[in-house]
Amino acid sequence: MATRAETTIPRRRSRAASSWLDRNIRWILVAPSIVLVLALTIFPLGFAIWASFVQYDFSLGLDHPWVGLDNYKENWSDPVWVHSLWVTAALAAVMVAVELALGFLLALAMMRPFPGRRALTVLFVIPLFMSPVIVGGFFDLFLRRPFGPMNWLLGQLLGHPVTIDFTNDSPWTYISLIIADAWQWTPFMFVILLAGLAAIPDELYEAADLDGAKPRQSFFFVTLPLLAPIVLIAVTFRFIDATKLFDIIYSLTRGGPGTDTYTSSYYLYQEGFELFHLGQGTAGSLMLMVMLTFISFWLVRRLLKPVEA
Amino acid sequence: MSEDIHEGFDGAEPSLFGTPIGRKDFLFDSAKLLAAAAAAGPFYLAAEQADAAIEASTSLTAGDPIALSAVNAAKQFKGITLTKTNESGLQALDDHNFTGPLWEKLTGIKVKVIESPFAQIYSKVIAEHIAGTGGIDVIDGSPVWMPDFAEQKVIDPVDSYISKYKAQATLNDYHPLYRALMKYKGKTWGFFDDGDVWNLYYRKDIFGNAKLKAAYKAKFKRDLRVPRTWDEFTETSQFITDQMAPKVYGGGEGRGLGNPGNQFYFFQQFRARGGRFFNPSTMKAEINNEIGVKAMQSIMAEVKASAPGIEKLSFVDSWVNWLQGKTAMIYAWPPTGRISENYAQRDKAFNFLPKSKIVGKVGYALMPQLNGEHAGSFVKMVSADSKNKEAAYLFAQWATSPSISLQRVQLPYTLRDAYRISHYKSKQFRSRWPAAGEYLKALADAANNAVLDPIMTGAADYANALDRAMTAIYAGKDIQAGLDDTAKEWDRITNKLGVAKQKASYALFLKLPGSTSQNTVAKRGQAVKISA
Amino acid sequence: MAVATARPRERGRGTTRVVRGGRFRAGAVVRAAFILGYLGFLLLPLYWAAVTSIKPQEDLLADPPVWWPSNPTDIHYSTALENFNGWKGLENSLVVACATTVIALIIGTAAAYSMARYRTGGKHLAFWFLSQRMLLPIAVIIPVFLLYSRYSEAWFGVQLVDTKIGLILLYTVFALPFTVWMMYVYFRQMPVELEEAALVDGCSRVQAIWKIACPLAAPGLVSAAAFAFIFSWTEFLFAQVLARDSAITLPVALAGIITGFQGNQYGEASALTMVSLIPAVFLGILVQRHLVRGLTLGAVQG
Repeated sequence: MATRAETTIPRRRSRAASSWLDRNIRWILVAPSIVLVLALTIFPLGFAIWASFVQYDFSLGLDHPWVGLDNYKENWSDPVWVHSLWVTAALAAVMVAVELALGFLLALAMMRPFPGRRALTVLFVIPLFMSPVIVGGFFDLFLRRPFGPMNWLLGQLLGHPVTIDFTNDSPWTYISLIIADAWQWTPFMFVILLAGLAAIPDELYEAADLDGAKPRQSFFFVTLPLLAPIVLIAVTFRFIDATKLFDIIYSLTRGGPGTDTYTSSYYLYQEGFELFHLGQGTAGSLMLMVMLTFISFWLVRRLLKPVEA
Repeated sequence: MSEDIHEGFDGAEPSLFGTPIGRKDFLFDSAKLLAAAAAAGPFYLAAEQADAAIEASTSLTAGDPIALSAVNAAKQFKGITLTKTNESGLQALDDHNFTGPLWEKLTGIKVKVIESPFAQIYSKVIAEHIAGTGGIDVIDGSPVWMPDFAEQKVIDPVDSYISKYKAQATLNDYHPLYRALMKYKGKTWGFFDDGDVWNLYYRKDIFGNAKLKAAYKAKFKRDLRVPRTWDEFTETSQFITDQMAPKVYGGGEGRGLGNPGNQFYFFQQFRARGGRFFNPSTMKAEINNEIGVKAMQSIMAEVKASAPGIEKLSFVDSWVNWLQGKTAMIYAWPPTGRISENYAQRDKAFNFLPKSKIVGKVGYALMPQLNGEHAGSFVKMVSADSKNKEAAYLFAQWATSPSISLQRVQLPYTLRDAYRISHYKSKQFRSRWPAAGEYLKALADAANNAVLDPIMTGAADYANALDRAMTAIYAGKDIQAGLDDTAKEWDRITNKLGVAKQKASYALFLKLPGSTSQNTVAKRGQAVKISA
Repeated sequence: MAVATARPRERGRGTTRVVRGGRFRAGAVVRAAFILGYLGFLLLPLYWAAVTSIKPQEDLLADPPVWWPSNPTDIHYSTALENFNGWKGLENSLVVACATTVIALIIGTAAAYSMARYRTGGKHLAFWFLSQRMLLPIAVIIPVFLLYSRYSEAWFGVQLVDTKIGLILLYTVFALPFTVWMMYVYFRQMPVELEEAALVDGCSRVQAIWKIACPLAAPGLVSAAAFAFIFSWTEFLFAQVLARDSAITLPVALAGIITGFQGNQYGEASALTMVSLIPAVFLGILVQRHLVRGLTLGAVQG
């Protein structure tokens, strides 16, 4: 690192004693966000916590006696819940890994300017602007036999007829989900990593060159460390989102066959909303959120460390 | 079907618009109606609307007092907006293109539709009820939700309105199967609105094919005929597939999860073979007994004999194969009969369906072993939180009145099906295609022998568990294991909801005509006899 | 003013090098192959959706699949737009997404600046913002519905259910975590000397932020804006539950066609998908322009 620049404004340098605005700017800047978030999350969170401890189930009537931990236990006594946790964890991990790898390779490949790079970047970014529900929907169209072209294409490539049921046979159902998700979210990694790569000043590479570093060494000692915080943001956000995987399941497999591709979000949606066992659904959601918090807290601590001077 | 709007008009009739008018004024009014319809929807509808206007004022009961009284009474609520639920996509077209605009024209009341996927209608209605702000006035939903809705006071009984508007008589025009559905614990909770019975549709030409018949006789030592038992069905289906695949397959129902839901296949065959869902005294689920296993094995055999990929096809997708002549037999909802004759494909909204290659070649039969499923359907209920309950009721009465409902079940893009005796007998309907009379008779016969979806508290949970389990079985899970797991899940659901409560609810269900194969409308001596 | 705006530094090559010298040729071929492969992966399903949207019905479910219909038709587009809430969904989505982006960007960047420069709230505030991201939609759907219907009517006299403004507020809350964090990291990596210099020259804090910090953080702003837009444009669950009729957004309209109980209208769904891509392409062009500018400008000065 060239210089560890100061990134906060030291107080003794401030001379804006006159303007109230300048004095309180830090609070004014932060207030609208905090107020808005509080306004829209305090009641829902409070309600959710309350609902998880009472009986809130449409079929059981609309009074809400306290039931303690029953809703939580109800989830654990359902084998589908446990199964969905495994599915969620596995899918999220694989998806993020695939997207990170692909996105990184793509960003590296696109670093150098070449004719048409601009147009290609536009093209690459398009999947991000599509609703995951839609992406699931047209992947379904693409993969579903007998009229989805995927089997036909594979057949042409491999030379013999292929009849894989992509949305019904294990493990193809999972592979289909991963491919659909990667199709949509690799550009996310790509864009962030590209911006991160671009942010690394050339002087650092030049300095490394002068010091006699080989390309591989400069990659490991210059690129990766500077990229690390960016990668961490990207992975954190993407992982958190991936564990909430819902839309693609809804449109591609509907959790099937049976309950094979039930992610936790989909399970909770079914139980909590479609069948309106709200107490149980909310309890499950809160448990999931706690688990997510721990994981992302661990990830974010790594992020916050190098930034603190 | 005639485009000539003069036909069928016998003189001065009380009009839809409140005052008795002569022929000339009627034509003027029709023209206005046509203009409204043309502005509101696809323009081919204009021809339909002309017929509709005529039928409305020359219905079998010489002017429809039910529709009239509803319209006249509703005019006092002019200017309000009624909000109703419906399934998104095709179902909602009825409200957008016909019912809504026509009601507004007649009464000045606007109709707003909340569309959502079918299962979510349930959730949205509940959410609105919890909020209590009267966001929904008319609940167009499944009859299996009625017990839960009635118990939790999500809907209001409508008996007082029925007496007030003297609509009692119209209930007798409903087929007995549907008439009973509208009542729960002695009260009426809505107007039934969609005769969703299953029939067996088969290709007359394939079954009449001499070569095929000979080969069949040689193999099975009996004549090729439309199957009368489930075992015969699977044998015949497999036979046709063996002989004629990949050009034609024996069967081809869509079996995608939730599209429409595999539980219907199991419900009907299980009961046709004599099974019962629960032990009435202990409320233990009995779907995993030998009858259940046999039914499921039979279903798996059907799947094997069907076109590839049906495990993910929706009900409508399976029509594509059927219309292109690739399926020999299909059992499904009544629109199947209409689309086979290219009736629905005239409308832009149905452009995704191919033109039928089997016009005139389709025969209609009862389901094997007689008892077909009455699957799904809609009832128009009045929300208890509505701020316009009376108007909501009047809308329901009007939309399901003999004349208006007759037009609605004949709309090309509709998915609502005949449910009144007057529908089955309607001359106009019977003139739609040469075999329409047979079609209507088949629908009535099916209703005579149909078995109902379980209408009880917790119905949605039971159905969901079974639907999921069946897709797992399609994907290769062992049948006994799958059924055992489902029975366990059903027991869990029963325990959660309360065994005593479920027992009472199940007992109520068993009293309905159509609850079991021994208790059908026909077996109770109430069969409606319609001639072809 | 000593430094008014960021100026591009002159650069010989203009990009960082990861591979050099003799391996240039092989590297270029590998790169090209990879890019082409990825392009194929990307375009194939899109092509299929595009071609499905113009297929007449006989081709929709044909086996073997039809790669180019002999009689293309535009009936799916008109049906989807007119009969299945296409226009309504498109319009609502555009309004909601644009408004959300603008609001989230303004208040999010403001908050991020405060947190980066003044350590407002320390890491607790930072983490609190992040934790909003972890809110599972399904946990809060019903209470939000209640908030927007019963309580909103009680307190403000009007329901927020089925309104665009209701969706905008909610989406802003969900977009803020990413906006705040993106800009937070960006501002932290920006040295403060430039702003200090501006302050010394007599600027007020607000001017310093507006004239110095923001332009330097432009690529970050663009990314944050893009993702705020994406989130609002593609959000499905809340829109589905909170919209009754007037506030139907594009994903909800599309989902109604794709997952219907009584059938999927593939042609119409594909047509709406294609239509929804138009703003996507437009935004893609916008985003990539700033990305490339960021590359040639170099990022941090000094």
